[in-house]
Amino acid sequence: MPYALGIDVGGTFTDAVASDGAGRIVSAKTPTTPPNREVGVMKAIEDLAAELGIGVGELLSQTDYIAHGTTASINALVQGEVADVGLIATKGHRDAIYIMNAEGRTLGRSAHEIQDTLRQRKPAPLIPKYRALEVTERVDYTGDVLVPLDEDEVRRVAQTLVDQGVEAIAVCLLWSFKNPAHEQRVRQLIHEIAPELYVTLSSEVSPRIREFSRTSTTIMNAQVGPKLRTYLLPLQKQLEEGGLRGPLLVMQSEGGTITADRAPEHAITTIGSVLSGGVIGGKRLAEQLGHRNVITTDVGGTTFLAGLIVDGEPVMAPGSIVNQFPINAATIRVHTIGSGGGALASVDAGGNLRLGPQSAEAVPGPACYGNGGTRPTNTDANLVLGILSERGLLGGRKPLRMDLAREAIRVHVAEPLGLTVEEAAIAIHEVQNAQAGDLLRRAVVQAGFDPRDFVAYAFGGAGPAHCAGYCQDLGVREVVVPLGPVASAFSAYGLAASDVSLSAELSDPSAFPVDHTVLESHYARLEADLQRALDRQKVKFHDVVLEREVDLRYSMQVTELSTAVPDGTFTERTGDEVLERFEEQYERINGSGSGFREAGVQAITYRMRAKASLGFPVELPRVPRGDGEDPSEALLGQRDVCLDSQAGFVPTPVYDYSLLRAGHVLQGPAIVEVPTTVVVVPGGVTGTVDHLGNLVLRYQGGQPS
Amino acid sequence: MTSRIPGADEFTSRPMPREELLAQISPSLPLHQIADDHEQVDALTYEVVRHRLWAITQEMGETLRRMSGSHVVTESNDFNFSICDELGEQVQVGTYNIGLIGSMDLAITWTLRNRSDNPGIAEGDMFLCNDPWIGGGLHQNDAAILAPIFHDGKLFGWTTAIAHQVDLGGPRPGSFSPSAQDVFGEAVPTPPMKVVRGGVLQRDIADAWVRRSRLPHLVGLDLRAKIAANKNAGDQILRLITKYGADTVKAVMRRMMNDAERRLRAKLANLPDGTWTAVGYQEQSGTGDRNLHAIKVAMTKEGEKLVFDFRGTTGQTGIINCPYPGLRAGIVFTMLPLLAGDIPWAAGGLMRCFEIVTDEDTITNASFPAAVGKGPFGPAWGAGNLVAEVLARMLDAEPDHRTDVQSICNGTTDLCVVSGVDVRGGASKRFVSPIFDVMAGGYGAQVHHDGVDTGGRLIIPSARAPDVEMTEYLYPLVALWRREQTDSGGPGRQRGGMSGSVCYVQHPDQSGRMSLVVSGNGKVANQNVGLAGGYPGNSQLDLVVRGIDGPQLADVASIPAGLDELGGQVEVLPAEGESDLGPGDALYLHWQAGGGYGDPLLREEDSVGEDVRQARVSAEAARDVYGVVVAEDGEVDADATAATRVRLRQRRATDAGVTGLSTEEISVADLSEARRLDDNLAVVDSTVVCVHCSTRIGPLEGGAFFDSLARRETAPTEAGPHIWHDPSEYVDAEIVFRQLLCPGCLTAVNSRVVPVDHPLPHDDYRAWN
Repeated sequence: MPYALGIDVGGTFTDAVASDGAGRIVSAKTPTTPPNREVGVMKAIEDLAAELGIGVGELLSQTDYIAHGTTASINALVQGEVADVGLIATKGHRDAIYIMNAEGRTLGRSAHEIQDTLRQRKPAPLIPKYRALEVTERVDYTGDVLVPLDEDEVRRVAQTLVDQGVEAIAVCLLWSFKNPAHEQRVRQLIHEIAPELYVTLSSEVSPRIREFSRTSTTIMNAQVGPKLRTYLLPLQKQLEEGGLRGPLLVMQSEGGTITADRAPEHAITTIGSVLSGGVIGGKRLAEQLGHRNVITTDVGGTTFLAGLIVDGEPVMAPGSIVNQFPINAATIRVHTIGSGGGALASVDAGGNLRLGPQSAEAVPGPACYGNGGTRPTNTDANLVLGILSERGLLGGRKPLRMDLAREAIRVHVAEPLGLTVEEAAIAIHEVQNAQAGDLLRRAVVQAGFDPRDFVAYAFGGAGPAHCAGYCQDLGVREVVVPLGPVASAFSAYGLAASDVSLSAELSDPSAFPVDHTVLESHYARLEADLQRALDRQKVKFHDVVLEREVDLRYSMQVTELSTAVPDGTFTERTGDEVLERFEEQYERINGSGSGFREAGVQAITYRMRAKASLGFPVELPRVPRGDGEDPSEALLGQRDVCLDSQAGFVPTPVYDYSLLRAGHVLQGPAIVEVPTTVVVVPGGVTGTVDHLGNLVLRYQGGQPS
Repeated sequence: MTSRIPGADEFTSRPMPREELLAQISPSLPLHQIADDHEQVDALTYEVVRHRLWAITQEMGETLRRMSGSHVVTESNDFNFSICDELGEQVQVGTYNIGLIGSMDLAITWTLRNRSDNPGIAEGDMFLCNDPWIGGGLHQNDAAILAPIFHDGKLFGWTTAIAHQVDLGGPRPGSFSPSAQDVFGEAVPTPPMKVVRGGVLQRDIADAWVRRSRLPHLVGLDLRAKIAANKNAGDQILRLITKYGADTVKAVMRRMMNDAERRLRAKLANLPDGTWTAVGYQEQSGTGDRNLHAIKVAMTKEGEKLVFDFRGTTGQTGIINCPYPGLRAGIVFTMLPLLAGDIPWAAGGLMRCFEIVTDEDTITNASFPAAVGKGPFGPAWGAGNLVAEVLARMLDAEPDHRTDVQSICNGTTDLCVVSGVDVRGGASKRFVSPIFDVMAGGYGAQVHHDGVDTGGRLIIPSARAPDVEMTEYLYPLVALWRREQTDSGGPGRQRGGMSGSVCYVQHPDQSGRMSLVVSGNGKVANQNVGLAGGYPGNSQLDLVVRGIDGPQLADVASIPAGLDELGGQVEVLPAEGESDLGPGDALYLHWQAGGGYGDPLLREEDSVGEDVRQARVSAEAARDVYGVVVAEDGEVDADATAATRVRLRQRRATDAGVTGLSTEEISVADLSEARRLDDNLAVVDSTVVCVHCSTRIGPLEGGAFFDSLARRETAPTEAGPHIWHDPSEYVDAEIVFRQLLCPGCLTAVNSRVVPVDHPLPHDDYRAWN
């Protein structure tokens, strides 16, 4: 029987999911084992094999592919544990990476932080200036060479860097995305001196206008590439020796995969792999449930992550920001706020209740964990409110300390605000819901959509406890909480269920519409690039779909809008058609009448995406049907829970998720206990178990608008 | 308010008591108001509504930036927005150009007083304004859209959006004219007019608006962006009202402002009482002028209140003027980041905490028809620098607030508007644009940190400079270099943040001459001053180099790496003037860095060594200014450093006429009980002493100790290689590097580049609370 495996190597846990393509899915969870993470990966595979009742060799020999995501690269960047990199830049322009367009103080910072002007500094430079050197050469905005490359100087500069002991060299020259010849020649010259040295060219890793973010991306790629290589290659070897039949694929931030042997070269494209896994999982679930538009919410200990699926596809972003440095690598757009389950609640000097972005982290954790934390978190509030039980999570090994939770809330929130501990707890709970609701609303509305056309999915440790609250003001139709076999390993499920999606892009800023022959030649080049990339994946593809898009903007705007370019042959009408689509989309986002064609439209970047199915149906299995709507066979008991400041504490039934059956209906208020979380069904909300075991929450009497 | 144009004084706006304002609003305009004691909102609702208002303002900024076509907005974030109550008090403002909300309330009150009757203020209306006497913007280039919000037929509040427009007409491209005699030689100021009526953009008004510009498309796009941002915000506020009720939302708004006011007053109460003074200069009042024009401030802090007294400032002259709203904005854009970084920017509440005292008809309070195009980056910013300086000295004297002390950042912009016709690729396209690389100014040093290198702008917390590739794509220029400039940061125990320089030539396919309009201060009397003996950052310097060796990079084998490799003849651009750039020329702009903090002779020698290795300080400046000797291999020579530092102190002593300087290691007495004034000075029994050598300097009272400091005046370049050597290029006044020094150990307690008649500081620390 063939299998597909998804493995998510997180900071704390390694999650794994195996699917046999015929309705059976098993999952495993084991501790991550840094620095030798492959140990944890092998352990997770052993656990999967045991779940399936077969040997590891047997499992691997029947595995079509392993889709792998890891947080190791992103964590290395965040913590600065990266390779020593040298930079080669165009003469006169080395400092692009230090000047940071003057926005280094604020990139990726929240408005609250930006306002605290005196405390915003640039991040530590990616590399010291003495490892950032210049070479004589100049290309202009059309790609013409104005000053030829000084090859002797390149040799001297490369030798200097090699003598400094760099582990990799990043090459980023001005306008190289229009004409990569100089960068390519620089690599040849470096390899004459140091044949094995890891070299990254900006024209390959990020062929996009704007030298600051391109340089930043190129350097960061060089910083994580060598280490990814030393992790993946032994793992791949070990798996192959263990009999792995198919390839080891690495998930990319944009939701596609890349083979393990090529991943180190494009390391920067893999840093969002785990975040994207959750959205991909949501996409697969949406396909099974027939949902076209979904907001996925994943609430972990420290962060609240939200992704959007529109018309069946995740909403993408052209880049992201890490450590205040920009990364030009297409990614599934994930919106983040620092208010997860461990977000700290505090009262500021002006008597305002604040939640997050600081978190209690894994250590010490919320006060109620009894690990020495004394500051109150969301989790502590939920305990006081009865949402969580003092005996801890179902299957949890540890009881929670109500006394510590109450004390933390009393000292840090209740007394400063003049509230009772219970009132303070409900305030924390509601502020969390309000903040999350704001984030979600902005994510949806800014992308130009109406939340009422969406359903929401909630997973992660803290999502299900809050989702009914944070989705209420949003106006979504319903909220789906997955409770089946992959509930606790949803990201790994997403990995196993991923398609291959690759993209290629080229920048050619010019007035739009351009002649259709220009469109034709650009997309022909991109298609050839993509075909080569697909060929390198070593898997059989089914249903390859190519999509074209172009980033357009009104003349001089800073933000472009990705606009779909029609399939088929190009005609003289194509450019105008694209222009009309752009304007339609623009007005949808910015309001009717906001478009202004008179200002002129410019194209910046052309992009093509290949989407290919791995041909392996990774579907959630059906769960058995109950005898009717009455869920009382799953009733664990009841406790007093406060879900609403007006209603106060109300005796509330508590259910065991494993005994719920398809068709059961829960009338709120109710609590469902799950091994890794609890689901809250507030008063006025109905929870229905669907055919896949998901709990579907619906607001009675419709939604407030 | 003494304009010599009859009737002009109607077009001014000053803060006025609420009752007086209410009396001037037409009774036909119903206002949504709540009782004064209505602050009864539960903690929970308050939080939820407050968060929502915050999120709405964030979204306004995103809408504006996404939709705007103007390089100023999209690449440099020179815009802002706010949510206000029915009388224009600002409840929430954005973190973009803070100057642009510094007087927005004045524009709204003017509109209420003068538009509520005729043409009326009604649901779905929006008003367009770019009159610097009325408020909103600081000069005519700043165009605001004011949008009333109605609920249940009553005026509930306002949202505003404002952005700098590159060109709104007038005689010179960029609407900035160094030779203007008065406002009639500049772009036309337009008092609030109804550009949107009942939700419909009025085409006649919109056309009249864009018709004045050399860049009508961009102005048109920006107009729509600001309308959309306001519309979006207004809709969301109405949704909030539907859910929580108008009275509750209004009560939250009021409490946000009261809360901000309370917190700022509490902070002020914790700071020492006293009066701190500062004087700064505008260099040249317009084309051909060779004078320095002083702005003076005396800040008195008593209890919970600040008074800024600008009396004694030069009378209005040339083009370097700003009306009252500009002066107020200058205070606000400094005060918010320096005093209220940790207080929510419910600006209406914060603005209640200070008062302004000023003469009429001065460069910081100019009457119509003074030329005011330079208002924001000339006198308003100049006044802001002085406010930053006196605030920092007050904060430095309170131990809990020393982390809030920051030397002065880049003291203004370095404006260079380039215009011409882009003929690359056979095109023929008119362009006008300031060079925006100059946004990457240096930040001032702090007590515990060096200033941020090329960090942006204090007054635009989210400032941004464009990528070189974007500039080269948009305009027919090629940048030979854009870099951080070694030695530019003000020397100090903590170093000021570096600025940068950029050098452009015309693209090889370009032909003809481009015209340049330049305006920039700090070229001789540095505005980026250091504190506690820290030196100023670099002198601003703008040059055109005529007839360079490799014109337009034709057939060159190497690229010039500095001015010395360009060849050609250097033409120094004035503080205010015009020039041009030919095909064989290069344009060089070197904008301002931040000032240092503390005496550079006290900087850790290893920090200086690292600065040299990272090209932040040259080995020469390390030796001559910091007294630190760094060998070729980048290692610090400790013995040579000790000797050099002694020698530099001796030189200070000689210059200051002090004899008997001890060459012994400086010993520090136990001053743990003493009250610290700053990095160098403390107070023991009402006497100011040096914390480094315990020398008793003089009485604290009335600032008398300043008279007992040793004083040294030398050529400006003694401050370092970053200071311009020939002041007579710009002004007639004699310019000196003046240091006030501890008479015992010659540690610098005050170091600045000033005209020789610059007054001594007289800070009066009266009481600690």
